[in-house]
Amino acid sequence: MSRHAYAGNTAICGIGATEFSKASGRSELRLALEACVAALEDAGVEAAKVNGLSTFSMDTNPENEIMRLLGIGELTHFSRVHFGGGAPCATVQLAAMAVNEGVADFVLCYRAFNERSERRFGAGVQERPPLATAEEAQYAWTSPFGLLTPASWVAMFATRIMHEHGVTSEDFGRVAVADRRHAATNPAAHFFGRPITLAEHQQSRYVVEPLRLLDCCQETDGGQAILVTSLDRARDLRQRPVVIEAAAQGMADEQQMMRSYFRESLTGLPEMATCARQIWETSGLSPTDVRTAVFYDHFTPFVLPQIEEFGFCGRGEARHFIADGNIELGGRLPINTHGGQLGEAYLHGMNGIAEGVRQVRGTSVNQVEDAEHVLVTGGTGVPTSALMLGTEP
Amino acid sequence: MGVHEGIEPAEAAKAPPDFSAQLGRAAPPTRSRHAVNEPMIAHWCDAMGDANPCYVDPEYASRSVHGGIVAPPAMLDVWDRPGLLSARGGTTPRMRVLEELKHAGYDSIVAVNTALELARYLCPGEVVSNVETLDDVSGEKRTARGPGHFVTSRHSYTNEQGEHVGDLMFRMLVFRPEPAGDLVSARPDAGAAAAPDPNPALRPVPAVNRDNQFFWDGARDRELRIQRCNGCEHLLAPPGPRCPHCGSFDMGWVTASGRGRLYSYAVPEHPKAAGFEYPLLVALVEVEGTRTVANLVGITRDQLRIGMPLELCWLEGGQYPLPQFRAPLPVRNTTTLAIEDLSEGDRLPLVSLPITATLIVAGAVATRDYTAVHHDRDVAQAQGSKDVFLNINTSVGLLQRVVSDWAGPEALFRSIRVRLGAPGYPGDLLTFSGAVTALDRASRQITLGIRAADSYGDHAVATAELTLPPRQA
Repeated sequence: MSRHAYAGNTAICGIGATEFSKASGRSELRLALEACVAALEDAGVEAAKVNGLSTFSMDTNPENEIMRLLGIGELTHFSRVHFGGGAPCATVQLAAMAVNEGVADFVLCYRAFNERSERRFGAGVQERPPLATAEEAQYAWTSPFGLLTPASWVAMFATRIMHEHGVTSEDFGRVAVADRRHAATNPAAHFFGRPITLAEHQQSRYVVEPLRLLDCCQETDGGQAILVTSLDRARDLRQRPVVIEAAAQGMADEQQMMRSYFRESLTGLPEMATCARQIWETSGLSPTDVRTAVFYDHFTPFVLPQIEEFGFCGRGEARHFIADGNIELGGRLPINTHGGQLGEAYLHGMNGIAEGVRQVRGTSVNQVEDAEHVLVTGGTGVPTSALMLGTEP
Repeated sequence: MGVHEGIEPAEAAKAPPDFSAQLGRAAPPTRSRHAVNEPMIAHWCDAMGDANPCYVDPEYASRSVHGGIVAPPAMLDVWDRPGLLSARGGTTPRMRVLEELKHAGYDSIVAVNTALELARYLCPGEVVSNVETLDDVSGEKRTARGPGHFVTSRHSYTNEQGEHVGDLMFRMLVFRPEPAGDLVSARPDAGAAAAPDPNPALRPVPAVNRDNQFFWDGARDRELRIQRCNGCEHLLAPPGPRCPHCGSFDMGWVTASGRGRLYSYAVPEHPKAAGFEYPLLVALVEVEGTRTVANLVGITRDQLRIGMPLELCWLEGGQYPLPQFRAPLPVRNTTTLAIEDLSEGDRLPLVSLPITATLIVAGAVATRDYTAVHHDRDVAQAQGSKDVFLNINTSVGLLQRVVSDWAGPEALFRSIRVRLGAPGYPGDLLTFSGAVTALDRASRQITLGIRAADSYGDHAVATAELTLPPRQA
């Protein structure tokens, strides 16, 4: 496998979001439409020019309603990727592929929900009816034993990462501290102006040991849209084009939904390794070319293996990489400069793509110098995706 | 409650019983009906599950430090007990005090302390006598079970030659039961108003389909089944309709041995869900080269060690029995530890013993304790207990067995001192943990601190002193 054909020929030309809140007071469909309109305005593109839509599962906003209510006459491409939070970067990849193939000219990628005020994601699957589809049957191995929430599913991995790599709760805490430090200077972040200390992290109660409250993101109400088109078209638009240098999906090694407890090792993220290999091959870049990254951080523990899978440090060394201050502003690789999902909003990674775009444009509130190439990842513990965004050469 | 409040002043006005005349007084010596004998020893060993050959195997025992069969040291206070029909003749100062307390409304008794000091092991043929002295009767104390008095007695044991063989200190609480004293409602989780109903029937029901039906059928037979390909014998977890190893659609299963090791764990605290008792331990257990998720029972958070051995048991009460794991049953060491093998702080392996009605009744009878609460559920419930419960001699016997299984057949007990706490009911699990708390290499003596806990808390907190034999060349 080598370079993906769309890479370098496609670009993100617009981003748009609603405010991020705990109670939007509006329907999820309206949030999606507002985010899409904002992305179109950002790009300076009329809705009628959009002929592609891409989103990912667990979004309740049907493509036909987005089309109808944005005033789009027809769609030639609409795609929806499975496995929830793993897929944000995959929507951009599908959009780029459709554009590069000439199937669509402008593709809007979107996600919007009232995850906090209406359907709380973190509450888990307690009420999930026992349907006997293959997908539901997978819950038979965990739900009857009390693993009912995403936090509980991740905790089993975290214990093993701690055991094998000598990682401590404080190492997880340093990720939260970095995210919250970055969120503190981002007015759009839920935790704007509210940094935390490592001591506060250590004092926060366990949600599912070894995960503390401050290891876990909070659900958000809000929407985010990303507009993708060809690099040629993007050059004529309002914003500086943000080139899609690489994109990847990954599913690997006896993958289960957040509960891949049966694979040989629980300390890595093989699906993210699949993404990493494609990202580096397609972009022709290496870790030394990347100054900042957006790592999916619904829970802190999985940030560590992501740093390792992408080769920013060796296997089992992420705790040292983090403790040495590399992931904060001013460090070797500041991560989640918008505050991440722990600090800005938990929009299943779509807001992280927007931050990647801002870093490349040079408009982040926590701008990193020389951010020519920005890595963005999708959800961890699930079939996932990743993006490399960059400036036009 | 109003009625109680109404009569309390009158009761409180009653002068406290004066027992000073009885204190320090010794009763006439008792004499055992039967000499120390092998059948009673064998029954006791059966009840406790103690397979130490020094008690039952003449050939082994003759070559041991004992030079022949000996009685288990925890049986010291069993020999001179009256049988079911032969009531003890005469009366003792302690019996007079108990009678008076009963008259004053303190009609329930529970053992709280026992301390055996063993001068030497008894041999078959010896006839044991015991002189009981009433040591102390406390003033009225408020306890979790109700107001009561602690009654302490000392028992000095001799054989027919008058040779002193051991002592027992025994303390009981003689109390007036109060509804709030019911230990069931004293469970740690009972007070939390917001705690969801822990009835296992309320747990999420597993979604069963054609591909995992075999597993849940197995659960109904209390078998932990692992899918195995009939073509290539590859084990597949979680199961599916096709073997990814050889491509066969012909999938069968094998039954797991039930032994496993802890691979990882999570301790969910928020949100709490109906059907679960918190604190809840969820384990990822290695079984037969695959893994399975299950709950841990009888084990506390601080006892978790990645890699610790575990054994399968089942949670009943839901639509399907659910696999869970407990600490393993004790494994008997056939060689005796030497002092050189040990250091202060060494931990005894975590082990567990399921409490069954059979164990309770067999233990009570093997220790000649015919108190009805240890064999008759109706009586036990009428007296406010959930069910029949372990008698103190069985608890001491089980402690002795667990220590002896670890230390080896020729480790000599010098003392066993036990404080009893939570009751042991059928269906519960006793989990034993312990450590070497002191050690003297010159005298080859060790002191162990041991806890036996069940779902209500500490059932017994004990110390045991042992002498280990010199290391054999």
